[in-house]
Amino acid sequence: MMASGMVNSKKRLNYWVLLSLTGILCLVLLISLTKGAYSLELMEVLAILTRSLGLDLAGFESRSAGVLLQIRLPRILLAVLVGGGLGIAGAALQGLFRNPLVEPGLIGVSSGSALFAVIFLVLLPGIADNFPLLADFGLPMFAFLGGLLHVLAVYYLGTGNGGGNTATIILAGVAINAMAGALIGLTLFYADDAALRSFTFWSLGDLSGASWGKLPIAAIFICIPSLLLIRGAKNLNAMALGEKEAFYMGVNVKRTKVILLVATALIVGVAVSLSGMIGFVGLIVPHLMRISFGADHKLVLLGSFLLGAILLNFSDLLARTIAIPAEMPIGVITSLLGAPFFMGLIYNLKK
Amino acid sequence: MLSASNIQFRTKKRTILDATDLTVHPGEIMAILGPNGAGKTTLFKLLSGDSNASLGVVKYNGRNIAGLTASQLAAVRAVMPQHSTVNFPFTVREVVELGLISNKVKDPEKVLDEVMALAQIDHLQGQHYDQLSGGEKQRVQLSRVLVQIWEMKPFPRYALLDEPTSSLDIAQQHAMLEVLTQLKRRNIGVLVILHDLNLAAQYADKILLLKAGKMCYCGPIKAGLNECLLETVFDHPIQLMHCVGTDQLIVHCSNKSKMYPSTRLVQ
Repeated sequence: MMASGMVNSKKRLNYWVLLSLTGILCLVLLISLTKGAYSLELMEVLAILTRSLGLDLAGFESRSAGVLLQIRLPRILLAVLVGGGLGIAGAALQGLFRNPLVEPGLIGVSSGSALFAVIFLVLLPGIADNFPLLADFGLPMFAFLGGLLHVLAVYYLGTGNGGGNTATIILAGVAINAMAGALIGLTLFYADDAALRSFTFWSLGDLSGASWGKLPIAAIFICIPSLLLIRGAKNLNAMALGEKEAFYMGVNVKRTKVILLVATALIVGVAVSLSGMIGFVGLIVPHLMRISFGADHKLVLLGSFLLGAILLNFSDLLARTIAIPAEMPIGVITSLLGAPFFMGLIYNLKK
Repeated sequence: MLSASNIQFRTKKRTILDATDLTVHPGEIMAILGPNGAGKTTLFKLLSGDSNASLGVVKYNGRNIAGLTASQLAAVRAVMPQHSTVNFPFTVREVVELGLISNKVKDPEKVLDEVMALAQIDHLQGQHYDQLSGGEKQRVQLSRVLVQIWEMKPFPRYALLDEPTSSLDIAQQHAMLEVLTQLKRRNIGVLVILHDLNLAAQYADKILLLKAGKMCYCGPIKAGLNECLLETVFDHPIQLMHCVGTDQLIVHCSNKSKMYPSTRLVQ
């Protein structure tokens, strides 16, 4: 009796956690919608958003509607998708590598995506002009390819036979990051001014390029892999004991790994192609989830999506409002938040 | 029936396990014994499906292991490897529950409670796994393995355990083997790698002796407990004695320089 009570209370706790995270996310979104270089009243925001539903809450200027609907709303939705995607991808990679220090940026997945994105932009500029369809899909797909190649390289360099040794994984990540950095530099050597300017964008992250046109791609290629990851949460739990143990318990380890690697590479690739390399979200978020609510991946994965969305929106809010009318690159904010956190992790690991 | 016929395992350079045959019937405990490096773990990996034999066939209930998927295998056999680490803060109950991941059972809560009571870890279930002692971890792993095959099924199942007593004190070692003995009644065959000859003598129905990749003996425990045979397998003087008052055999491994010739009682 006691045991079944425990299970129910655990389930109930999980629902509460997810519900409150969703609540916090909505709150952060509403605040984000009002703040910025062009300030809006909350009532005004609500009126603009509900107008299409036929409600008439309050009057507003058409300029406000323009700012909100054309600039701010797509940007905030992109931050939800990218932040959530980075959070869930970080959680999945940590589970796969059985290592809490793994993060898309740290192990070179992000820089791999960035490298391929830069290659696409610099070396294949004609494609976008000649094939408009490829222009929308080509960049994210190239970034995905780069991310996939790099995550595979780290996986086989860093894990080898048996276990995910922390040192070898991090070293493999360092090596691959250096390689990708050098190749990006080499590619930029052949680039024109416009491409050079956009490199700052890749290296520090930027959400200001958001538009309604980019959102469908982001939504499809981040949400579908995320759902795949959440469906595999049980297998990820089993893999936490070890790949051998997971096999003994009946998990098809090979298939699980392929799904995990492809799904995370897709998410990170698309996120990087749309918003550059945003560091540390994928590290902090799964950690906070595990420390606060335990290691069950069913909760960690979904919770990391929500918390990642919250964190990135919060960071973007800071980036947009700290130095009005200028904007700070969002990667600066997340790294400022993330790097001390990472140092704390290493310090605790030593103990 | 779990059977292996003429299985071999070779790397490019050498043969690690040569021509081994064995059968484990449901309701019996087979102990695998041998010195370090004899090929016990290699044999274990071949039987559990972890690696494929270079030659020969392993069969579970008559079906070739090569034709079974991971989840089909998990329905007929559960495996406890030597060391399992958990890098994330899972609770004890969550770890044990993982054993049910691919098998649907009618009443999972009942299975979990029964097994955890049997392994004497029910008081630990809310604790974090990584904070347990070595012996407690081993009992948690045992529970995880047992829940996988605990529910009664119309077909025989098998439990494979690689040195499950390595971190346990004497009382817990016997408790562990008592648990394995109870599995016999659930139509389960047990195959266990042991280091302690006395534990094997006391609980096993059959033994398999390995030395340098070769099978020296496989059969009933009675005939296997033979001083000459054990001495050749372990390269060490070994004496067998009867315990005073009971019929139980005691294996005495004497120091090479000091022999106790007067106590030879058997054979």
